[in-house]
Amino acid sequence: MPTLRGFLWLVILLLCGEALVWALALPVSPGVIGMLLLTLGLTLRGRAGSDIQAASQPLISMLAMLIMPGVVGIFFIADEFSSQWLAVAAALLFGTLASVATTLWLMLRFMPPETTNE
Amino acid sequence: MSDAWGALREQLLATPMLAIALTLAAYFAGSWIFVRLGKPGWCPGILFAAMLLAATLALLGIDYTDYRAGASWLMLLLGPATVALGVPLYQQLPRIRAVWRPLLISLPPAAMLAAFYAVGLAWLLGATPEVLASLAPKSVTAPIAIGITEQLGGVIPLMMGGLLITGVVTTACVSLLARYLQLRDPRVLGFVLGVNGHVIGTVRAFELGPTAGAFASLGMSLTGIFSALFLPLAWRLVGL
Repeated sequence: MPTLRGFLWLVILLLCGEALVWALALPVSPGVIGMLLLTLGLTLRGRAGSDIQAASQPLISMLAMLIMPGVVGIFFIADEFSSQWLAVAAALLFGTLASVATTLWLMLRFMPPETTNE
Repeated sequence: MSDAWGALREQLLATPMLAIALTLAAYFAGSWIFVRLGKPGWCPGILFAAMLLAATLALLGIDYTDYRAGASWLMLLLGPATVALGVPLYQQLPRIRAVWRPLLISLPPAAMLAAFYAVGLAWLLGATPEVLASLAPKSVTAPIAIGITEQLGGVIPLMMGGLLITGVVTTACVSLLARYLQLRDPRVLGFVLGVNGHVIGTVRAFELGPTAGAFASLGMSLTGIFSALFLPLAWRLVGL
């Protein structure tokens, strides 16, 4: 039951996110707003209860599976964009290599060493 | 024979159960291969799973749109799962707060460049505006990226494919760079994985540990929020 109780909280927060996105015409997805609301709520409460943890852990480990139905679409639209596959492949491959390198450089440049913590 | 199969297939596709079963089966088979290969950092398990699933659908002659209609029941859980990321975020809040300044300085250029490199390269190679719009949100988590792509006038399946490739390349690239540069700081690795590799990078970061996972969740959500505000604006300025 703790899992279901936690799941109810997650869904309620998702609905709150949905309401806020609609009311304020935010360009962000309801899930992200819900996540921020959850972080805020837990901070105010001072601890993450066992219900919410029991529901969150399995869902987080399922994330990769949840996007599979969307991503397999790439294998079925390949024909449509076959004339541009080189541009798409190069952009994704080299674009990602470059952006990973840039982010890593930025982080190493600005991030203080771990010991400055606490 | 094939008529009988066609009729049975239609019967089984009447409910979402077949799509759900195929997705779960492909996911577990992909994870099994991933573990048998010794959890290679250069290739996330989801790539095996996605290829297996695509091959199975093609073999069984199931139309992708039919499959997707059924599997959308699974994708519904993406909403609560995104909210759930608030828990690791909360648990790591003290460590995040200690370095909020470097994170906030790094994020906007990192998120802008992630889109800029890919769109720039594709543009140079002669991609159409439709393709450019599908590639722009390639580092943004799926639910936000769908909204952005619609706004820019891109193609959702192409964008989702770009998401898969970006996540896979990010995971591979971060693993290789970390080994080559001897990087172990879970905060840096997690943030880089989340900013560039969205959900797929975040899944990888949770394999590295809870701190890397929390920083990846943070990087992923900040990139999503920033890109949702920035990309439509940039698109209008460039006049695409």
